[in-house]
Amino acid sequence: MSSEERSTGGTGEATIPGWGSVEFGRRLGLKALGATAAVGGIAALTSASAASAATKSSTIKIGYVTPKTGALADFAGPDNFVLSLIRSSSHFSKGMTIGGKKYKLEITVKDSQSNPSVASQVTTELIQSTGVDLIVTSSAPETTIPVSAVCEAAHIPCLSTVCPWEGWWVGVNPKNTIGPAGNAVGSPPKYCSMFFFGVPEFVECFLPMWNKVQKQTNANTVYAAMFPNDADGNAFAAAWPPTLGAISSAQKGSTWTEVFGGAYTDITSDFTTMIQTFKTGSGGKSCDFFINCPLPPDFNTFWKQASQQGWKPKLATVAKVMLFPTDVYALGALSNNVATDCWFSPNAPYKSSLTGMTANAFAAKYQTVAKSQWVQSMGSTYSLFEIVIEALKKVKNPHDRQAVAHALSQVNYDGMCGPLNFAAKTNPAKGIGIIKPVGIQWKPGSTSLVGHKKYSWSPWVVDNTLNPHIPIQAKLEPTNS
Amino acid sequence: MIWVNVVVQGLLVGGFYALFACGLSLMFGVMKVINLAHGDMAVVAAYAAVFLAPKLHVAEVWAFIVIVPLFALVGYLLQRTLLQKAIDRDPFTTLLVTFGLSVVIENLLLEIYSGNGQSVNIGALIAKSWQVNSIIYVSYVSLVVLGAAVVVLGALQLFLSRTSTGRLIRAVSDDREAAQLCGANYKHIFGVAAAIAFATVALAGIAYGIHTEFFPTSGGGNLLYAFEAVVIGGIGSLWGTLIGGVALGIAQEFGAHFNPAYQYLAGNILFLVVLAIRPQGLFGRKGSLNE
Repeated sequence: MSSEERSTGGTGEATIPGWGSVEFGRRLGLKALGATAAVGGIAALTSASAASAATKSSTIKIGYVTPKTGALADFAGPDNFVLSLIRSSSHFSKGMTIGGKKYKLEITVKDSQSNPSVASQVTTELIQSTGVDLIVTSSAPETTIPVSAVCEAAHIPCLSTVCPWEGWWVGVNPKNTIGPAGNAVGSPPKYCSMFFFGVPEFVECFLPMWNKVQKQTNANTVYAAMFPNDADGNAFAAAWPPTLGAISSAQKGSTWTEVFGGAYTDITSDFTTMIQTFKTGSGGKSCDFFINCPLPPDFNTFWKQASQQGWKPKLATVAKVMLFPTDVYALGALSNNVATDCWFSPNAPYKSSLTGMTANAFAAKYQTVAKSQWVQSMGSTYSLFEIVIEALKKVKNPHDRQAVAHALSQVNYDGMCGPLNFAAKTNPAKGIGIIKPVGIQWKPGSTSLVGHKKYSWSPWVVDNTLNPHIPIQAKLEPTNS
Repeated sequence: MIWVNVVVQGLLVGGFYALFACGLSLMFGVMKVINLAHGDMAVVAAYAAVFLAPKLHVAEVWAFIVIVPLFALVGYLLQRTLLQKAIDRDPFTTLLVTFGLSVVIENLLLEIYSGNGQSVNIGALIAKSWQVNSIIYVSYVSLVVLGAAVVVLGALQLFLSRTSTGRLIRAVSDDREAAQLCGANYKHIFGVAAAIAFATVALAGIAYGIHTEFFPTSGGGNLLYAFEAVVIGGIGSLWGTLIGGVALGIAQEFGAHFNPAYQYLAGNILFLVVLAIRPQGLFGRKGSLNE
């Protein structure tokens, strides 16, 4: 390469001088530092501009990052509907008086495309170009963790949901860890809060169902664990057995034996050997219970093959799949009585803190307006904006980021997802609000359900041990009798 | 008996790989076209089984009756227009064109059918199996797919060796200029080969749609195993593709038997070993790669 070429291409990628050079190493180092270093610069820039202009602005700008497209698009399905309700509620349509001054509220939506790097990129755009005062984000670690990390570095208040808190905790601050008892170790983020639940709640939600079916059918206390070799799978594989053991022994319950199917690769075309392992079980007893956290196509293949291979666990409790009707309809009749967790249910006695609309009316309206079956992410998305309003009520200046972030981490209110206290002593850490899921099973729908509309398959609340506010709708039945 | 089961299940998965690889093998063998949109075409067939078949009042399980001929037609037309234009230029253009097709197909599917997962629903049949003994269960669906793979690849091999059209295809594949001198319309022959290839892709796509839940972007993953099956079996040999698919399936099952983490590793190792020891594949002709 001639020196002339090198000077002309000064800004392009083409000028990497060579593998051995210091320049190349420096670039690699910068790339690794990447996100945080770049955002640190932005933080300086935005805080400088905020101090002068934004503090006087009479508009509060809220950014919303959500996976509208890509693999997680199911979660964002109700977004447009939820946002239209939020925007028509009085605080958003008429404005809000804070510290004696009238403010307009504005929501800017960005698509994370279910991709972590796009998520952090659009967050940076929201901060830099849109000049948002705070950011809310939802749906799966792939979106909420990068968004929260960028906000924390840029000193922008951020609220997220639909992500197990363990992953969020270590993702927002790389120095944080999860302790041996599943506890949060480290320091809470200064600008970020979240609400959802974690591995202990999964156990507390599924275990009562296991216990009931075990007694009912005199089943073996041996369970099959299908955890893939990916971030969620490895986290579950590590956390599930000790958490289950601790909670079950604290309740003086049965001793559960795990049969681990092996850390398979995502998108596997054949599970017959794993199913053979589950049939063989442990100590001469086959696996009668089933826990997993797979990608939807893997569960689809696995569950069809399990049925073909004659492995019929008494109860299947799945995590991460079968949350939405899509997976259920794709699986068809084999979905019957597969159980999972549910964090928003239309039969809950909860209502909007913004308009007083009940959970039932909320879901029924969605089914009429959007012409599709309700999904549980609609409740958590709605609550994001309720919580923002709760926090804004507590501050004197909505452009004071520290005050807004602090107010978010102290919210204690009743809303669409039920009572939620970010400052409760029982929370894993400051700024992590816990909602309590209930157990549901997929069964054929009925006109007695929300909106009096019968769908082929509907989720029925079958266990409310963790959240007795939510009434049981149907009897818990074994997946295979 | 456990080992017999490993082989049986490997055979069944292998049948699916072979069926999937058949069209790829044919397109490469005859036209020297590496169709990077192969997997996406299969996904299109699966979407057609879910959305198009019910509109034509055909149950999803019988969807192939409509979709296979439709795909043959699409294959012929696509070959005579887009692919032929690309072949007339050079091999890199065909690679780029099929890659472009793949991107276009994935995005069109996303636009039309959204990112929601789908599956070809064949009712209670999906859960049924033939219980050989206490360990070996043979899924009817997988058995049918294996049978289809054997029949399709066998019939194609006979077609190529016994019929006049088959001989023409081989002649054009061996030496296009010489065949043209003898009066063969090679563009039409290419079209026929593409029609057959697309018909088999449709069959494989529907089988795939029955087996699992698919998304607009599901095509790429299967393409890899189809490639491996073709390379292991030997480029240009259809029997080879069948054996290649089955060998890949059995290798994966053996890997999975030790630990599911090794399932794909074992298949990939077989692929590498074949490449290292016998680059032309198990049934490939020596020098077929240099043509």
